[in-house]
Formats: sequence, C-alpha cells, structure tokens
Amino acid sequence: MAEAHAPLAPAPAFTTLGRLSTPGLSIAPVDDLTIIGVTSFRQTAAETAARLRATVGIAPPDRPQRRSSGPLALQWAGPAQWWLMANGADASSRARDLRHRLDGLAAVVDQSDARAVVHVAGPHARDVLAKGAPVDLHPRAFAIGDVAITQAAHIGVTIALLDHKPTFEITLFRSYADSFAGFLLEAAGEYL
Amino acid sequence: MSPPRLQARRLATGGRIDRAAPLRFTFDGRSYDGYAGDTLASALLANGVSLVARSFKYHRPRGILSAGSEEPNALVELRTGARREPNTKATTAELFDGLEARSQNRWPSLAFDAMAINDVLAPVFVAGFYYKTFMWPAALWEKLYEPLIRRAAGLGRAADGDDPDRYEKATAFCDVLVIGGGAAGLMAALAAGRAGARVILADESFELGGRLLSDRRTIGQDPGDHWCRQAVAELASLPDVRLMPRTTVFGAYDGGTFAAVERVADHVAVPPPHAPRQRLWRVIARQAIVAAGATERPIVFGNNDRPGVMLAGAVRTYLNRFAVQPGTRAVVFTNNDDAVATMTDLIDAGVAVAAVVDARPQPPTHIAALAARLGIRMVSGVLTDADGGLGVKRARIRPHDGTAFDLPCDLIAVSGGWNPNVQMTTHLNGKPAWNETLAAFVPGRLPRGMHVAGAAGGDFALSACLAGGARAGVAAAVAAGFAAGASDLPEVDAETVSVTPLWHVADSRHKAFVDLQNDVAVSDIALAHREGFSAVEHLKRYTTLGMATDQGRTANVNGLAILAELTGRTIPQTGITTARPPFTPVALGALAGHHRGRAFKPERRPPSYAWAKENGAEFIEAGLWLRPSHFPRAGERDWLETVCREVNGVRSGVGVCDVSSLGKIDVQGPGALDLLERVYANGIASLKLGRARYGIMLREDGFVLDDGTVARLGPRHYFVTTTTANAAKVYQHLLFAAQWLWPDLDVTITSQTEQWAQYAIAGPRSRDLLARIADPDQDISDATFPYMAAGEIAICGGLSARLYRLSFSGERAYEIGVPARFGDALMRRLMAAGREFEVTAYGTEALGVMRIEKGHVGGAELNGTTTPGDLGLAGMLSQKKDYIGRVLGQRPGLTDPGRPRLIGLRPLDPTARLRAGAHFVPNGAAAVAANDQGYMTSVAFSPSLGHWIGLGLLSRGPERLGEIVRAVDPVRGGDTAVEVVSPIFIDRQGVRLRG
Repeated sequence: MAEAHAPLAPAPAFTTLGRLSTPGLSIAPVDDLTIIGVTSFRQTAAETAARLRATVGIAPPDRPQRRSSGPLALQWAGPAQWWLMANGADASSRARDLRHRLDGLAAVVDQSDARAVVHVAGPHARDVLAKGAPVDLHPRAFAIGDVAITQAAHIGVTIALLDHKPTFEITLFRSYADSFAGFLLEAAGEYL
Repeated sequence: MSPPRLQARRLATGGRIDRAAPLRFTFDGRSYDGYAGDTLASALLANGVSLVARSFKYHRPRGILSAGSEEPNALVELRTGARREPNTKATTAELFDGLEARSQNRWPSLAFDAMAINDVLAPVFVAGFYYKTFMWPAALWEKLYEPLIRRAAGLGRAADGDDPDRYEKATAFCDVLVIGGGAAGLMAALAAGRAGARVILADESFELGGRLLSDRRTIGQDPGDHWCRQAVAELASLPDVRLMPRTTVFGAYDGGTFAAVERVADHVAVPPPHAPRQRLWRVIARQAIVAAGATERPIVFGNNDRPGVMLAGAVRTYLNRFAVQPGTRAVVFTNNDDAVATMTDLIDAGVAVAAVVDARPQPPTHIAALAARLGIRMVSGVLTDADGGLGVKRARIRPHDGTAFDLPCDLIAVSGGWNPNVQMTTHLNGKPAWNETLAAFVPGRLPRGMHVAGAAGGDFALSACLAGGARAGVAAAVAAGFAAGASDLPEVDAETVSVTPLWHVADSRHKAFVDLQNDVAVSDIALAHREGFSAVEHLKRYTTLGMATDQGRTANVNGLAILAELTGRTIPQTGITTARPPFTPVALGALAGHHRGRAFKPERRPPSYAWAKENGAEFIEAGLWLRPSHFPRAGERDWLETVCREVNGVRSGVGVCDVSSLGKIDVQGPGALDLLERVYANGIASLKLGRARYGIMLREDGFVLDDGTVARLGPRHYFVTTTTANAAKVYQHLLFAAQWLWPDLDVTITSQTEQWAQYAIAGPRSRDLLARIADPDQDISDATFPYMAAGEIAICGGLSARLYRLSFSGERAYEIGVPARFGDALMRRLMAAGREFEVTAYGTEALGVMRIEKGHVGGAELNGTTTPGDLGLAGMLSQKKDYIGRVLGQRPGLTDPGRPRLIGLRPLDPTARLRAGAHFVPNGAAAVAANDQGYMTSVAFSPSLGHWIGLGLLSRGPERLGEIVRAVDPVRGGDTAVEVVSPIFIDRQGVRLRG
C-alpha cells in the first residue's frame, strides 16, 4: 500500500481566514514561518547570547524587541529566551541546525507548529488591533521592531511591528486560530 | 416623505437644527416631524407634546425636566421588536428618521393611566411601605408581592429577542483625556493639543460645545457657538487629537484608566454594515481633565413634577439650541443670577413671561432693572405650588410680604443653582468638598494625574471656564512631558454669578418631589428622619433617594440639604452619598462586546477538528477545547450504541483518538531531573533513555494534583504529559517550582502542547496500523519498542514523529505525535490506511468507558479531594526522596484508613443503570447523611461486560470486596444494590497491554 507512505500535506493554521486586502487594511495568514524557541540554561546565558550572535548574525535583544537580518530574525520571548524566526526553506534549515550549535547551552525547541501567525497591515491596522489588544501601538509608543506579549480577545498573542506600513505580526497558539480569526474579521469588518 | 408639517412650537429661525433635513418619527403611534439636530425631547416639545411619561411609583403625569443625561422624567421606549430599548432618556436620544418612541409604565394610555390611583393612595405608599406591609407571610414575597409590585411600578420592557446589533470593545491611549467638550474642555484640548500631546476629547452629546450651544454668549467678536466651530475645526486638524462626540466617560479607575461608551450608531435606525451599535472604550490616559460641566438643580415646591416644570437652563437649551418654545407663558423661579439670561431668551423667542420670582431676600438690582425693562413682573418671594392636571396651568406665588396669588402659565422655569459634575473625581474614593459661596459640592482631593476645569470645578462664569480650561490643558500637557505655553484668552460678554441657596419651599399645598425618578417626596425624607434613618446613606436606602438610573443627579443635593435642615446639621456634617460608575446607564451588550454566543470565550480546536467535523462527530467542551465525544453513524439509535461500537472496535481491532489536548511540557537542562524528582511523588531517577513512566504530582497539601506520563528523550531532556484539564495548572506548577521554590535548579520548561498533534492508536491491531505508515526501515517490534517505550520514528516518507507506547484503554496502544500542521493529514492517513483493519475513530466517551473498564482514574477521581492512598496509588509514592506534598500528605486525616477509597461497582441486577454522584449506604441502613460512606465517581455501560459498571470512593472500600452496598441517588430517585469489586474490570494481569 504505497500511498500510506506518501508525504503528509501540511494544513494551514487558519482554516477560515484567507488573504484580505483593501487600501486601508490587509490581513494575511502566514503559514511558512519557522519559529525555533531558544531558552538558555541559567549558567550559560552569556555564552548562549554570544553563540546566537555568532551563528545568526544578530545580537539577541534583551528586551521585547525583534531584530532581523535578511530572512532571519531574533525576537525576545522572555528573560534569556528568544525565538529564532526564519522565512523560506534555506533559512528554515539553518534555523533548525541551531540545535547542534547550542547543544548544552540552551533548550532549543521547535515552536513552528505551536503557533498561528497572521499579518495585519495598513493604515487601519492600529484601529483593528485596538479592538482586541490593550497595548499602545501608536508610533510614539511602539516603534518598528518593538514586541508586546499580551492578549487580544481573551487569547494570548505576541505582537511585533515589522515595518512602517505598518505591518503587525501576530503570533498565537495554533488551536485558537479560528477563534482569533472570528474576532479579527469582526473587528476589521468596517475597514474591509 | 410628504412635506413637513407644522411644528407649532418651532421658532422660524435660529438654533443648531438643520431645517433642510426634516425627520419623521412617531410617539405613541402618532406621527410627528422634527429636524436633524433635534433630540427626541426637543422634537416632542416642538410639536407641543409635553406629557411624555408616567412616574415610577405613583404613575403621576410627567414631562421633560432637563435637556441632558440627568433627566429623571422623560424615559421612553425606543424602536420595536428585538431592538426595543426601554428607559431611554428622550433628552439625549438623537432624533432619526423613522424613530418609533413609546411612553412606558402607563395603562391604558398616557393621558389616562389606571394606576394613577396610586397617587390618590400616596399617603399609604410612603417610603418603606413595601417592607412594612409585605413582610408577612414571608413565603408570599417571592411568589405574590414582588411580581405584583414589579408590575405596578416600573420602567419599560426589555426586548424579547436577541439583540441583532454588534457591540465592540476597544482600548485607546492618550497623554491627555478631556472629559467634556464645553468651553472649558475645548480650551483644555486646544492648549494640550497645540503642545503636541495626544489628546482625546469626549463629550456625551452629538455636538461639541456644551452650554455654548445653549446660551447666547459672545467670545471675542463672535457668538459662542461660532467660537466652538472654530475650536472644533482646529482640534480636528491636529493629527494626534481624537474628537469623540456621542461618548460618555462613565468611570474612573486605577492607573489613569477610564471607561467610556461611544454611541456609534444609536442615531440611525439600523447600524451601517459592520458598524457596531456601541463601542466600549477603555481609555488609558497619562493625564485627565474633568471638564464635565455642571447640572442645574431645581427648587422643590408643590406639584413640581408636573409637565411644564422645567430647569431654566434646559429652557434656554430648547430656545437657543433647538429653536423650540417649551411653553407659551412662563414663570421664572430662581435663586441665582441665571434669571437674566432666562428672561431675556424667553422674551426674545416670543414667549410671554408672567413673572420672575426671585427667592433671595434681596434680589440683585440688575435683575429687577432688567425685568422692568422687559416689562416682566418681578416678585421677591417664592413659588409654592404648580396647579394643573396633565400639565402646568397656574403657578401659586407667595411674595415675602406674606400675600399669595396665582398666575396662569404653562411653563415654570426653575433654577436652584448648579451642582458641579464631580463624579469622575470621586470614583477613586475622592470626597467632594462643600463650597458655601457656590452652595455646591466641588471636587475634593484629586487622584494623581487628574485636573478639573470649568463648571465641574465650580467655575460657573464663562470667562473662568475658558481660563481654567487653558490652565488645565497646559498643566496636563506639561505633566505628560510636553512644553506648553499659555494661550491668549478671548474676551467674553459681561456676566454675574451669584446664588443664595433655597432647597425647597416650605408650606406647599401639594406633594413636593425631591427625586422625580424614584418618586421620593420631601415628606418621605421627613418620615425617614422620624423613623431614625438620619444618616445620609440610610436615607438613601430607606427612601431610594438617588437610587434610580439617573443616580439622583437633580435630587441628591436637595435631599441631603433637606435632611440637614431636619437634623439641624450643616450640609458638610450631613455628608454626601458615594457616586460610583457608571455615570449613566451602560448597555450590557457594550460591556460584553464581541464576546457573546460562540465567541463568549475562545475555542480551541484540536488538529483533527476539520476531519472530525466532516465525519459527523459530536463535540464536547473540555475546558476551552472542543473534542469529538463520539462519531455517530447512520442507523445508530443513540449515543450509547455509537460508543459501544467504538469501544468494541478498539478492543477487537484498532481505534484512533485525538489526544492532542493533553498538556505536553518539554523539560531540559542540568537541573531537569532534580526538578522532576521534586514535583513527582514517584521516582523518576531510574527512568531510562527511551522509556516513559506513569507519574503523579501532589499539591503542597498532599492531595493529588494531576497524573500523566514523563518520557526521557535525552540525558537531560524529558517530556511531560498532563491531563487536558490540568495542562495549564501543571505548567504553572512547574514554573513556580523552578522559578520560586528552587531557583538554583538550572532547568528550562517549555509548553509543547500546541506543537504536537498527538493521536492514540489503540487495540490489538494498533502495531499493524502503525507499521503501514512507518517508513520501511523503522523497527517497531515489541523487542525494540516494548510497553512504555518512547522515541523518534520516521513516518510517511521521512517525517520525524514521536512515538510512545502508552495505554489508557488497557489494550496494546501507542501515541504518535507529529508537528501540528501535519495532524489533519495524519488523521486522514490513519483512517485510510486502517481501512483494512476496520479502524474505528473514537471520541472522549469511548475513551472514558475504556478507562473505567480498566480502572484508571480520571477527572472525576482527580478532583482535588483525593490522596494517592484514596486512589490506590500509595504504592507509587517514593520512600527514597522528598517531593512536593510528601510532608502534608502524612497528616493523620489524609492517611486515615477509614477514608473513602477507590473501588469498582457492579449492579446486582445486570439491567440496572448506575448513576455518577449516587451515595453509598450500607445495605439495610437508612439513606440518610449519617450513613453516607462515599459516592460513585464515574459510571459507564461496559460493552465488554454487557452491563453498567462504576468507580467510586467508598470508606475502607478495598477491604470490602464482595460486600453489597446501596447506591442511593436522591436527586434522580435511584436506589440500586451494587457489589463492591476491584476497580479493574478487564484484563487484570495486563496481558493485552504488553501484547
């Protein structure tokens, strides 16, 4: 029975949410982002940070921020904790190789499937997110590269500002994806 | 629309209404016309309608007292059907085309209300009447008295159907929140906005301007409302200023947090697509400026609740803002200088003024001079009573010289002075302070970051409002870190502000009301005082003064001043009741926002959700998770038949169940083993690489916290699973232990629940099914992968999966985990590949049946009151180490051999059904609490045995195997004889498990 061994097809985290775009607002689920959680052991925190910088080429942020270099980014996830995020297959395999580089220094745990990711972008993005997240996302308070670990519509989310459009990257636990999409579509309704 | 009809009381010119935008509405079924810019109240008055309501208790005819949110009388029902909205203030309801309004609390009609008999009986229905009269017999209160009273007293009817509109909640941040958009608020917002601060200006009306829209004032060279338009235009042009009309800030909370409700679409018949009806705002402000203005208070006199008695400020609002004559012949009754404007505006609008009655012993000469110039009779005295049935017909006037006379009129414009709207300054426990000169409470000590400007702070003069607003705006901006300079202050026309308090007129003939909405009269306050309720908080609760939906905004100060007179105390000695949020009523829909129906709370969907849905699964809520409970097939009679099929399918072949919702926690690091040894009650140290072990965690107090498994994936790498219910609790417990109890342990704890789609593959053919999807080079023979093995496996062409040989069912079983994105495809693959074994998808019901058959404890036994000993797990407790819960678990009460302990139960009558929750009593003993020996925790119909079985906690249970006890269920009426048996009903030796 050959087809029993055929590769399995990945399913998107959001089953009810597709790409939506108007001049004022765009919503785009992201399915191919690799997220590798790196949590340093306590004794080796400095070494972990140094090794990360050397291998990834990004200085690990020490507060809620995200720093990018090409297809790779390091996002703060807690004290001595980061997400190494990678776009595309090459970057993804580089990210996964990290486990060996950090052996004995940190716990390296794949979180790519644990999260659903969606980009909310455009002039009305802040208006939409204000209906869920109790975080000040005004440019004076939340600059490009800033990260907030918070909640929206009773769902834990991480919000990162990627660019000046503005594009907000929202990361949440995968099982909540459809509930979050329900909130997002209702909040965005007046701008779509 | 047919051409607009005559609005008898509408002025030909002026006002802020749009005569080019006529609107048609109905009131009590009659059609009327109004204009855009009207409130329902102003449109009714324009059409000569002044009787609009019946009062709460006495069903007295009521009209329109005010022009704002303090209105106690003019409460109406708006709209129809599912949008029906009771108790809405006509004075704030913005008119829209097609609005249907109805009076409430009257039968059969507004003009003739049968319940007005209560008014005749008023001497009986005094304060406390209900409590005194309907005390006995107490049983009748709920069934008879309360429903009757509720029917007679009352407000409007809530809508019968679900609210069809959407509501939402949002958060806004600003440097400076300005509460109130009158002269002071606009000036404050300008000062802060010009400095570059992020400003939010909120005002409850649909047009910004406050009293500048209602009073004919001059600022600089311009009429006040022109100055308003310019200020609003400038504010709108500033990029970081947000203007929020139709928005009531209703509460102040800690940390600069304010709650506000924005009426996004209350002013249209149906909200536009995707627009919410209302939006609840949480505003987080570094600085706040309370510029909420002031509320005029009436002077209390006889029949002061008759339609046609109106606050003088409201009279000016209707004349100037809405271009409406609220009457044709007025008497002005005052104790302050606002009478100047009231007289002038009435005369200019063509309303006859029969007299101005100034209660002050020596009315200022400029008022007498103005009255003389306008040809108005000036009386130094009081107005004691209004006369007239459904509306004012005469005013009874008693000059200070002791004479008395009547004057015909249909409007009494009354002003007792102004009360600053101090509410926002008191929500954080601020106490207002009495100001003798103003005869009013002004804000006391302010919360940090709060400023007050204008009439809200007792500055009643327009010049002071502008100056105070500018000052507060600068101060707030500077405190928020901006450089702000003083603005030029415009000149204003001449004004005087002087008041001599008069709370109520003594010796009125008729009932004189203090609280119009709750029908509390002066005589009720006197009665409360006689009966000993002389503290202001007691007075409030005994008489219900100030407890209506208007929070007594026109009543409280008069009420406590009258109490002060009665008790011979000063007003400060008498004190004031506490104002709490919300400032005005807030719809529950706004508080719920998006979270109603299925969105009440978020839902978590397991990886196989879509597949399960396609295959007809019934779902059950397990915490936030929606898990398939069973998969009914066509032709199956009921859930029991389905579940039996699923159980039999597993036990005779193979079944697959989504167990992804079980908690999964990755534990790594040099201290990983030490941590696990301390949180698990059983030994972990001997766990070998590539093996899994069942484990129990205790709470500090010795009771069982959770059970689960721990697998060793590397030398310092463990993988912990928990029950679905306790996933978050155990994760939190591990973090607490690692971060707080033993910070010296170097260990990382990472939730992996969501990373892995995990499926149980159970049954004698489970390995065969697994072999179908495992890559050809993978060895899953029992020699390599025995019971309790754990490791990686490649499936479906190289996908790295995790395999654990664990069993909850008692059968040979595996759990396989793949990255969650492949979960949907893996479930489909397993079902396809398993077709040759007649694979069965099973849900939580079959899972539960099989664990009961096997005597595994579940949520019903891990209920927070059971010890390891109670559950037959004492043998697992390690004697070689210390662990959380060990010491307190040794307390005598927890080791008492008489404690109820886990046993199995079998009905003597094999057809009898068992019920969870039934209590055990010895056979032959009475079913009373004294004989209670434990209870049934879990039951199932066992397809394997063909009868019902149960698990239970029975005192000394394991010592009583073979004994017959009774399972008594008083709630559902069951009484079943059951035999105490081993909790393991099938395969006691575990042969099937190991294969």
